[in-house]
Amino acid sequence: MKNLRDDLHVLTGSYVLDAVSPDEREEFERHLQTCPACDAEVRGLRETAARLAMARAVAPPARMEREVLAATYQTRQLPPLSGDPLSVARERRRVQAAGVFAPRKSSWSRRVLAPGQASWTRRLAVAAAAASVAAAAVLGIAQVSTQHQLDTTRASGAAIARVVTAADAQVESAPSKAGGSVTVVTSAQLRESVVSATGMAALPAGRVYQVWVMAPDGAPFSARSVGLLQDTQLLAAAVHRGDRIGITVEPAGGTRQPTTTPVAVIPT
Amino acid sequence: MLTQVARGDHHAFELVYGELSGPVYGVVRQVLRDPAQSEEVAQEVLLEIWRTACRFDPARGSGAAWALTIAHRRAVDRIRTENASSRREQKAAPDLTDEQDVAEEVTTSLEYQRVRRCLDGLTELQRESIKLAYYKGYSYPEVATLLGVALGTVKTRIRDGMIRMRDCMGVTW
Repeated sequence: MKNLRDDLHVLTGSYVLDAVSPDEREEFERHLQTCPACDAEVRGLRETAARLAMARAVAPPARMEREVLAATYQTRQLPPLSGDPLSVARERRRVQAAGVFAPRKSSWSRRVLAPGQASWTRRLAVAAAAASVAAAAVLGIAQVSTQHQLDTTRASGAAIARVVTAADAQVESAPSKAGGSVTVVTSAQLRESVVSATGMAALPAGRVYQVWVMAPDGAPFSARSVGLLQDTQLLAAAVHRGDRIGITVEPAGGTRQPTTTPVAVIPT
Repeated sequence: MLTQVARGDHHAFELVYGELSGPVYGVVRQVLRDPAQSEEVAQEVLLEIWRTACRFDPARGSGAAWALTIAHRRAVDRIRTENASSRREQKAAPDLTDEQDVAEEVTTSLEYQRVRRCLDGLTELQRESIKLAYYKGYSYPEVATLLGVALGTVKTRIRDGMIRMRDCMGVTW
């Protein structure tokens, strides 16, 4: 028995470097629960491995920040663990099922978009999220672990209230070429805008109004989708000074980039 | 900060992003090499940090170590699931000197210099084992094959090397 324990203890280094197989990882994590010395060593070596990572830090492309920050608004956070062992075990299984080992294909987000199976809130979330790879990854997790992690309406309800009631909230309104008008409330401090429209013409079946954040230089391909305009308000996150909000008519489900001339462009 | 993120604080997350996006992207890119794929995985990781922030336990380690564990594991899982076969076949001979792949932006950093100095203090087998495992994402059996040494030897060298790194860098936890 001594040999087996020694053997496992020697794995501390390989474990923190992720150089073990999934089976070994699981076995070793079980072992950690009964071996305080190994656990202490793992903590120190994990901090050491983090230094190896920090030594290779490279600034990511600037667009990543916008995409990730925007995606947080589409992503429900896990609730804290309640201490009881059963729920801990259940949660652990769920996280495992959701994440690390599940092979992921880049095309699955289209499967999530299959028509007819989603409520409108979910479709809204999906359309908005489809614009960014980051959010697509979240849907991948949601797909395997269940839908309850996606809850845009609830997530953005509080956020919308926060923007509208912000001390520095600025209101901009402009008429739309599709009739009616569009109102954008922006808090520069929160870097968020709330978009709402009234009186715009009803669209034929298969067409939707899609809302975009457009960079000041106005290159259409740099637009970032906020979501589809239903009879509700939309929240645009990570809005930078000078960005504009645009609305275009797009095919049902929305597109990744605007394909038509905006019916309205509003400064933030 | 992560505790505030766990409560849904988007501003705290922006600060966390500022701190961690560089190391997260850097380590993922170090392992995966492909910039587009690295960006995708780094985004997944950063969003995972947002989603699971309440699972971070400050009593068990630093926030950076928690986040970078997620990042490295994701990157390694990605290569093991996606191109387990092709990569190993194409790269029969490992490229043991990765320094030429390291961007200048990296080599001028203090942390890079410190880690490099400590790596230089290891035996060659310890150093190469750690670099192949951590920076290239090889499993220890693969490292053993690449370096032509026994499995048990690699496990021991990785552990001894990491303990020396820990002491050299004065990591206390």
